[in-house]
Amino acid sequence: MNRDRLLLCLYLAGILAATLVHDPVWLGAGLALVLLLAGGDALRLLRRALLAILAFNAIISLSYALMAWWQDISPWLTLVRLNLRVLLLTSLTFLFIARANLFRALDFSKGLTYVLGLAYSQALTFRRAHEDFRLALASRSLRRPSLMDRYRASAAAASWYLEKSLHAANQSAQALRSRGFFHD
Amino acid sequence: MTERRYRAVKNSLIPTPPFLKGGRGGISTPSATPAEQNPPSPPLRKGGAPVIQAAGITHRYGAKEVLADIGFSIHPGEKVVLLGCNGSGKSTLLKILDGLIAPTAGQFTYDGESITPARLKHPALHHRFRREVALLFQNPDAMLFNPTVYDEIAFGPRQMGLTDLDQRVRHWAAQVGVTAHLERPPFSLSGGEKQKVCLAALLALEPKVLLLDEPTAALDPRSTGWLVDFLSGLGVTTLITTHNLSLAPELGSRALVLGEDHRLIHDGDIHGLLGNMELLAAANLVHTHSHRHGGVEHRHSHVHDWQ
Repeated sequence: MNRDRLLLCLYLAGILAATLVHDPVWLGAGLALVLLLAGGDALRLLRRALLAILAFNAIISLSYALMAWWQDISPWLTLVRLNLRVLLLTSLTFLFIARANLFRALDFSKGLTYVLGLAYSQALTFRRAHEDFRLALASRSLRRPSLMDRYRASAAAASWYLEKSLHAANQSAQALRSRGFFHD
Repeated sequence: MTERRYRAVKNSLIPTPPFLKGGRGGISTPSATPAEQNPPSPPLRKGGAPVIQAAGITHRYGAKEVLADIGFSIHPGEKVVLLGCNGSGKSTLLKILDGLIAPTAGQFTYDGESITPARLKHPALHHRFRREVALLFQNPDAMLFNPTVYDEIAFGPRQMGLTDLDQRVRHWAAQVGVTAHLERPPFSLSGGEKQKVCLAALLALEPKVLLLDEPTAALDPRSTGWLVDFLSGLGVTTLITTHNLSLAPELGSRALVLGEDHRLIHDGDIHGLLGNMELLAAANLVHTHSHRHGGVEHRHSHVHDWQ
């Protein structure tokens, strides 16, 4: 077994453990272990993970806190557990992606390598496009863009991503079918 | 058809509006008052000094070098074509010249003023630079986010607080031929129409320098012809990237060529460049393949009339 496949197995085991453990102390210990493994990149990793989950977790946490208030129950244990678990899973995933070569980890399966290749090329395309959307707004703005301008620019970008994703998915499926990948 | 004759026919078919002709001072909306055209900003230097001067520009994305020691000057009114194969660093160079990304090394000045993303945080410089230097992105979708074409063209002038906003929007919409679409959302337009809307949105600011990134890449032949004519009539300094050699002489008189090693390998007259097959081959701008003429087969480097 190559190093990257071993890391993949450890990562999957870590994901499974993080979903089975419910005690916030153990979830916290898991997060501390991930940050320890990240070494000098720990702070950057934590910052990226926090930013990645901020919007999603804020909405879920607020909704749950409201529901708990309505039903007159204490929300704290659930909120701590939920947020710690999501942060642990995200940090673990970021660490794994940074340390392992996914292509080598999945090279035992031709099908998985194809799917990974498609996903990776899409991610690169979207990353470049995201940068262009951001720079285009900056380039056209004589002063700091208003909240409404930023909202509109984000909405236009999201709409473009969606349309592009659907088109790319359709093209990819046709290309794979044309090369005999599907046998339906 | 010789170039002279082509020009003669072109000019007889498509008369250039007088206000689009010539002038080193840039472009303007005809009916705008001088005060509206030029809201207070630091004065531009006059004379033959370069409007853009780049020295030793090097840029890396991680370990990958995309530009290496690039240096050149562009003078007011010049029309320069930046040629290079895919991945040679053309788009990155334009983004650096638009002050959007900082080069890893080297510097460039606009009208004698050093430009970096950090220096552009100064409001007066930022306002002036963004008004006078405009970048057309290769992907027009990246630039369009307003609810209607009208708002898209008005986006820049609104920030300038101009009083002739409506007149200005309608003028530039008419110039690029999108008046019929003014109330439509930009995302519903075709690729060529989006490109025209982007151009109108930039021109509505009456910039002094236009940086255009592969403006013909998504255009059909008719729209490409229109764009060539339109740009040739604009009295504004332009730097246009393309990898289409056939079109290059129509877009400018001077060529900068980026090699596959991301260095500037040519800076000079475009017609001289087009005769230098060795240089074009080194820049991966021409290709070689076999031809059959009757019973004779041979190979040579060349470029097709339309790429």
